[in-house]
Amino acid sequence: MKILTCPVNGPRPVSEFAYGGEVRPMPDGATCSDREWADYVFNRSGVPGVKIEWWYHIASGTWFHAERDTVTDRVIRTWLPG
Amino acid sequence: MSSRLPPVTGEWIDRSRGLDFTFDGKAYRGWVGDTPASALWAAGVHVLGRSFKYHRPRGVLSMANHDVNTMMQTGARLNLRADVEPLEAAMALTSVNTAGGASGDRLRFLNALGGFLPVGFYYKAFHRPKALFPFWERVFRRMTGLGTLDFNAPHIRTPKRYDFCDVLVVGAGPSGLHAALAAGRAGAKVVLVDENARIGGSLGYQRGGSVEGLEMLRDLERDLAELPNVSVRAATLAAGYYADHWIPLVDAKRMTKLRARAVICAGGVFEQPAVFRNNDVPGVMLASAAQRLLYRYAVKPMDKAVVLTANADGYRAALDLMAHGVAIAAVADLRAEGEPSALTMRVKQVGIPVLKGHCVLEAEAVDDRLVAATLCPVSAEGRPDTASPQKFACDGLLMSVGWAPAAALLYQAGASMRYDAGVHQFVPERLPEGVFACGRVNGVYTLDSKCEDGERAGTEAARLLGFDVPARNFSVAAERVAPSHPWPIVDHPAGKNFVDFDEDLHLRDFHNAAQEGFDNIELLKRYTTVGMGPSQGKHSNMNAIRILARIRGKSPGEVGTTTARPFFHPVPMSHLAGRGFNVHRETPLHGRHDGLGAVWMQAGVWLRPEYYGQPGKRKADIVREEARAVRESVGIIDVGTLGKMELYGPDAGAFLERVYTAKFAGMKPGTTRYAVMLDESGVVIDDGVVARLADQHFYFTTTTTGSTTVYRELQRWNAQWNLEVGIVNATGAFAAMNLAGPKARAVLRKLTTLDLSNEAFPYLALREADVAGVPARLMRVGFVGELGYEIHVPADRAGHLWDALMDAGGEYAIRPFGVEAQRLLRLEKGHIIIGQDTDGLTQPDEAGLEWAVKMDKAFFVGQRSVDIVRKRGPRQKLVGFELDAIGASTAPRECHLVVRNGAIAGRVTSIAWSDTLGKHVGLAFVAPDMTEVGSPFFIRADGGTMVQARVVPTPFYDAEGLRQKVVD
Amino acid sequence: MANMRSSPLAHALATLHPEWIDVAGMPLAATLRDDHSGRSDKLGVCDLSGLPRVGVKGPGAAAWLAARGVPVPDQPNTWTLLEGGGVVARLARTEFLVEDGFGGRIAARLAPELKPGTTGVYPVPRQDCALALTGTVVNELLVQTCNVDFASQARDACIVTLTLMVGVSVTVLRQTFAGRDCWRLWCDGTSGPYLWETLTGIAAELGGGPVGLKSAFPDARFQNLQ
Repeated sequence: MKILTCPVNGPRPVSEFAYGGEVRPMPDGATCSDREWADYVFNRSGVPGVKIEWWYHIASGTWFHAERDTVTDRVIRTWLPG
Repeated sequence: MSSRLPPVTGEWIDRSRGLDFTFDGKAYRGWVGDTPASALWAAGVHVLGRSFKYHRPRGVLSMANHDVNTMMQTGARLNLRADVEPLEAAMALTSVNTAGGASGDRLRFLNALGGFLPVGFYYKAFHRPKALFPFWERVFRRMTGLGTLDFNAPHIRTPKRYDFCDVLVVGAGPSGLHAALAAGRAGAKVVLVDENARIGGSLGYQRGGSVEGLEMLRDLERDLAELPNVSVRAATLAAGYYADHWIPLVDAKRMTKLRARAVICAGGVFEQPAVFRNNDVPGVMLASAAQRLLYRYAVKPMDKAVVLTANADGYRAALDLMAHGVAIAAVADLRAEGEPSALTMRVKQVGIPVLKGHCVLEAEAVDDRLVAATLCPVSAEGRPDTASPQKFACDGLLMSVGWAPAAALLYQAGASMRYDAGVHQFVPERLPEGVFACGRVNGVYTLDSKCEDGERAGTEAARLLGFDVPARNFSVAAERVAPSHPWPIVDHPAGKNFVDFDEDLHLRDFHNAAQEGFDNIELLKRYTTVGMGPSQGKHSNMNAIRILARIRGKSPGEVGTTTARPFFHPVPMSHLAGRGFNVHRETPLHGRHDGLGAVWMQAGVWLRPEYYGQPGKRKADIVREEARAVRESVGIIDVGTLGKMELYGPDAGAFLERVYTAKFAGMKPGTTRYAVMLDESGVVIDDGVVARLADQHFYFTTTTTGSTTVYRELQRWNAQWNLEVGIVNATGAFAAMNLAGPKARAVLRKLTTLDLSNEAFPYLALREADVAGVPARLMRVGFVGELGYEIHVPADRAGHLWDALMDAGGEYAIRPFGVEAQRLLRLEKGHIIIGQDTDGLTQPDEAGLEWAVKMDKAFFVGQRSVDIVRKRGPRQKLVGFELDAIGASTAPRECHLVVRNGAIAGRVTSIAWSDTLGKHVGLAFVAPDMTEVGSPFFIRADGGTMVQARVVPTPFYDAEGLRQKVVD
Repeated sequence: MANMRSSPLAHALATLHPEWIDVAGMPLAATLRDDHSGRSDKLGVCDLSGLPRVGVKGPGAAAWLAARGVPVPDQPNTWTLLEGGGVVARLARTEFLVEDGFGGRIAARLAPELKPGTTGVYPVPRQDCALALTGTVVNELLVQTCNVDFASQARDACIVTLTLMVGVSVTVLRQTFAGRDCWRLWCDGTSGPYLWETLTGIAAELGGGPVGLKSAFPDARFQNLQ
């Protein structure tokens, strides 16, 4: 089982975490077109490569970001957002 | 006739403890430490099973966990590997896949039909006519398969456990032992596992007539015993490799999920069979199998042997046999130059004829037992010269022509392997970080080199983990002579040159497959099924690769290998299942409900009373009674499973406005408001009640199933917004009960000094007060459509309050009610349940929640999507309906479809018979043009009956809401 | 007010023929009928849910506690000893759990002071199922239920572990409690009965089981909390 390093709780088996999807900026609803908004809501990029993702450590309620290569499943780094 | 030898140094059997057992109905006796195969072989039984397809007799092949033709069954235990599983007292073993036992198998006639059963014949022969395929399928199912399932097999709990170490060493042969020693001496916490009943690997049985190996093993065992940080586990299988050095270790009792920081694979090699005609008859075996029989079980494998070899190991095996009274008829060495080492001289000295550049052309059996082997010269390319064959009488034939690495763990770990022509074997080329290989799996065969290689791996692993070990240069010499032959295969035109004993594949099958275009290793594997039997290619893949390489004119390295998936060997299902865990949550009132006869149902992770059972009463009647109590007097329901959140801070109101569709900024303390939550696509995902306790303090509820995910998403939003708020998931910290019914106020009044008058505590208000001495938050709610108080108290005082309310309600015949009655009551009010009356696509407007969505806010989650969807208009609308026929016996149920002109126009989300209203009422999604009050529509009920329904306005009951709002 | 509180495990304990003892208004099992001598030395699971407890979180929580003389752990996921045998556990970064031991009154004193309204200091209602695991084979129970290597944690590091145990979010630490080396466990009260049932079931297979306070902590004096 994969080990993921929570920035607060340290390395833990991935079963302690929930995946939160790729980190994607929300377009400004006031200025973007309907099409742009729909693209944000419904479409996800499946292109393999290094991505920044949301992960959640369940027991402590910690959301954090992980930079992960989806080709090799290697986690490059993790950090708290903000 | 017993072929048990006098005691042999290092034997595994305990001659003081006999074991009686039966095989195919006949009684035998073995010793503790035996396997079924060794005990039977010692008793002169040589047909231990039948092959899968042709039902040919099969005996000992490897004694190393790939003798799959000798799998047996005892009681409910299936797939017992007779070559390695420990023999137990009173085992009643039967051979599998036979009709009438291994020796007299009535299906053995299939062997004569072999010519008509080529690879792929199932696919070709029986698919037409299609109608007959089920018939053939039944025939094959009866004739094939391994063992008979016992459906009464006991449920066995085999708890799993976790374990942790610095260095895991897989394989306790000479290299693994040295690796464990080196890492252990460096201070690492080491786990050393070996699938065999005892450690030592080849030191124990590949002796070459000498005791040096055994003495080295004793020394190593002593050294390891001095290291408390090294745990040595025999009879333990490393069954697979998962990410980040996570290895399931399987022993007789359980599976241990071990997390290592580094893994050393010292798993050695599998000896590989030679391919020649009748290479499967009982008596033909791998040289290492004969050595295991000799040294582990003190069984004389045969009386007279021919040794087919292509390496030094074959000569050592011949010496081992000689030392225990086996006559050697001849040694045939596939290599024209023979064995360059001094072993040749030692063999010749004892009078054994050595035939260089010779192969076995064919083995011959009489009465299912080997009687002779025919040898002939063979060219370097593997072509036999059949001009002057020599026939040797023998009852044993040893094959010592090469090895294949036990590299499954390395492949699974992501190692890349290359074919090394120096050893004619795949060896690791690049290993992932923290993964090491040593010994024969690493292409290192000479004993001194194996020890050095093991020490290297152990030292490198310890250094990687930061243990303080001086760097050292290790010199592991390359092998001078390849231990494996590149082409141990002789193509006899009469066939029966077996490549895969699991699946009865012979050489010709590979040529046929390649001719039909399946000439890629992955395709070849799937078409021929080579390596897909229970031994998973451990004795067949290497030869299959060599054959395919030759067919395609490539090197084995270019052909490549397939990756054996975990698990590496089959393990009992009970090991995989482990202990059964039934994760659930209980409200603090669980015991009270139990005492009242609650019938439990699951609501997400929660257990909730569906209703309170009474002897002799039907559920439907009880539910109606519970509902009637609420309508007519007073009822109480545990709603503690609702999600409950505390929200603090100066930005709390602003935060709520962003996550819910309603407005909260102007809410006064002491009031509550219904709240709907959307996701970013505008779909309704949750609802609840938001209460304002103070300027900077809100308390709100979520649905029972939503509490965990809602809390999680709220945390995520705030990780982005960084508003000055504190969110606390207080779901478990508060108990909650809804006291509802016209007498609710009268009951409550007995327990609190709070002014409960409608003016002082109106509908939808919130008050904080002591109830029965417990500090409580009270909300006037109307979910079930009567005067109602939702009372939230600290969980540890819930029981006290419940008892007090039940006491106080006694004079009004207070009735606890369950989820089922609540569903009916709220349906009568037309209140929706998120997740039941909505689904993963429902927009608020479709569920009639337009009123709760305030678009004139700066932002809320889903707002932009609602905006877009509103331009399009709803695709469906939730409407109330009633059935035209009173008490329809074929009433539709939830999820039944609304049908118009033969097409689906919606579905029923809720429906129930209402005593109060005297009819069936429900909620359904219908097309937007079907919503006019009074318009009829049809629901397709069970059995296709079309039931007429009619759109009616909601609430069905007390449309003005007088009962919940203004009751005095 | 006496006995108004009940443990999340009250229902489960009631089936074990307990002799109750009052701990801060909550009846806990002092003895259990089948809790033979030595069980807690082998592997005991003991309910401590009644101990006074207070939770606080937010950016100002550490300062708020320090201002009231509470020894605040300076690292995330560590704990300090509280006067009277209790603990102050820092859960992740900005949340704290303060629990009195049998001889303490600090959490009980803090509770009424902790009112909503101070920015950055947010009360966390604590209604935990609180357990103590005692005995020589505790580690075997831990490795059958949790994928964290507790055995390798240095004792003097005073580590707090937030993890999942048999599917339940738990807070785990090791302390000498009432004179006895034990592992302490907290989980949401509503998951308590399931956790209790699972742990005591496995403990029974390992030669232990549920134990009462007097057997788990023979040296303790319980009077303070009554």
